[in-house]
Amino acid sequence: MKPIVSVRNISKLYHVGRPQGERPSLRQALTSVVKSPFARLNGRSSDDTIWALKDIGFEAMPGEVIGIIGRNGAGKSTLLRILARITKPTRGEIDIYGRLGTLLEIGTGFHPDLTGRENIFVNGTILGMKVKEIKRKFDEIVAFSEIERFLETPVKHYSSGMYLRLAFSIAAHFEPEVLLMDEIIAVGDISFQEKCFAKMRAVSREGRTIFLVSHNLGSIQNLCQRVFLLSAGRLCEEEDPQKVISIYVNEKNRESAAAGT
Amino acid sequence: MDLPAEPLIKIRARRAFDLMNLREIWQHRELLYFLVWRELKARYKQTILGILWVILQPLMMTLVFTIFLGKLVQVQTGATPYPLFLYAGLLPWIFFSNAVSSGSYSILASSQMITKVYLPRLVIPAAAVSVRLSDFLVASLVLIVLMLYYGVHLGWQILLLPPLMLELTLLALALSALLSALNVKYRDTGTALPVMLQVWMFASPIVYPRDLVPARWEWAYQINPLTGMIEGFRSAFLGLPINRQGLALSWLVTTALLVFSMFVFRRLEDDFADIV
Repeated sequence: MKPIVSVRNISKLYHVGRPQGERPSLRQALTSVVKSPFARLNGRSSDDTIWALKDIGFEAMPGEVIGIIGRNGAGKSTLLRILARITKPTRGEIDIYGRLGTLLEIGTGFHPDLTGRENIFVNGTILGMKVKEIKRKFDEIVAFSEIERFLETPVKHYSSGMYLRLAFSIAAHFEPEVLLMDEIIAVGDISFQEKCFAKMRAVSREGRTIFLVSHNLGSIQNLCQRVFLLSAGRLCEEEDPQKVISIYVNEKNRESAAAGT
Repeated sequence: MDLPAEPLIKIRARRAFDLMNLREIWQHRELLYFLVWRELKARYKQTILGILWVILQPLMMTLVFTIFLGKLVQVQTGATPYPLFLYAGLLPWIFFSNAVSSGSYSILASSQMITKVYLPRLVIPAAAVSVRLSDFLVASLVLIVLMLYYGVHLGWQILLLPPLMLELTLLALALSALLSALNVKYRDTGTALPVMLQVWMFASPIVYPRDLVPARWEWAYQINPLTGMIEGFRSAFLGLPINRQGLALSWLVTTALLVFSMFVFRRLEDDFADIV
């Protein structure tokens, strides 16, 4: 069988010299060009750089559910953001043989003043659905989210549970061949969570591929056939996913033991 | 599941030269539509006064300039009454300046979306500009009232309106794309914008006729693409003679600016999610 996602030698370099959130001004940029017009040619010397990802490569088959674990800053989100085309890799290539859905956040583009019905269309198109598709699945989305009575109410009047259910429901009914998810399966109460897990298993049975980043080892164990461990930008995988999880747990324990002494 | 022979999505490290992907924008036309629809829906839901505000801005400006330039300075506008002359120029100008103002903040304002989901980023400034088209339509009502009041009839020249509107929208899109991209990278771009727009307004034949400009500055005046366009709008609305050379020149400059802006936007958009 042919892989649906093929990732070859992906690396991502970040410049960390500048404090986060600090953007240079156009005035500074112009004056620095006037003062030293050749500085740019000599390369940026003052910036510290960090490889958020280093030579990552793997292939994913249709229907696989792949869990990605690792400590904070290990590169999980960067990998997901590169796969999602939100940011570009510094090196490497990726080929994806299907449509791609990204769920790094739920309710992206929701407008508080618009009704549930209106937001289904806005959020659906932002996720990448076609209007025809949204119309076809509209009743299903509403039924799954259990907000029938509030369809014509602006979402700013929703309880946070209703808001999350609606947002997840839209996302769950988008049926791309490859789905990228970040930690959002823990939405709503226990019974709704069960519904979400069931939905994800159904998605994978249909032959769709899911990448799932999570700190919740329980849900990773529960859902994933393969597990990737990222540490300091490098990827590690073992034949047995259970083994990857125990490597990660050991790594974490060593870290907290070191912090304790 | 049957997989296509060719990948649907190819992700590559950044290339030095990468042209805009028009096909991708076209594939996302529904998204553009819903981004515009969301803004309009929300705007007119919040305030019933929404429509009134859109009319109030050109009305106040017309009042001020009519008093100071029309009555006190007595700017000569030929056979056309000054308020009508003014409004025919203010209408496209206000669309343009509002479109560029909201367009150049559009990427920053959508940072939440840009860091969470992929979309061709150009649709964001494009949506911001398109939203202002509805304001243009609403504010046109005032022009109709003024024309009825002064007894001015539409001529065949009104046929120029669609291509002029297209040109003005493209120019607004070019600047919005350019400035919104710079605004992500350099934080003072937005600060410079109001000053730039103010200067630009007085450097275009909006509140005064073009023949007030000294002949030796004529060449510089013509490079301003708004010169040909504003005059074109006036001819279209009021049935005045058409300056073909001015229109041709403004198309030339607009096209050049559009190509340049798209190139810069393309270069900078890969970094948006990392620095926004």
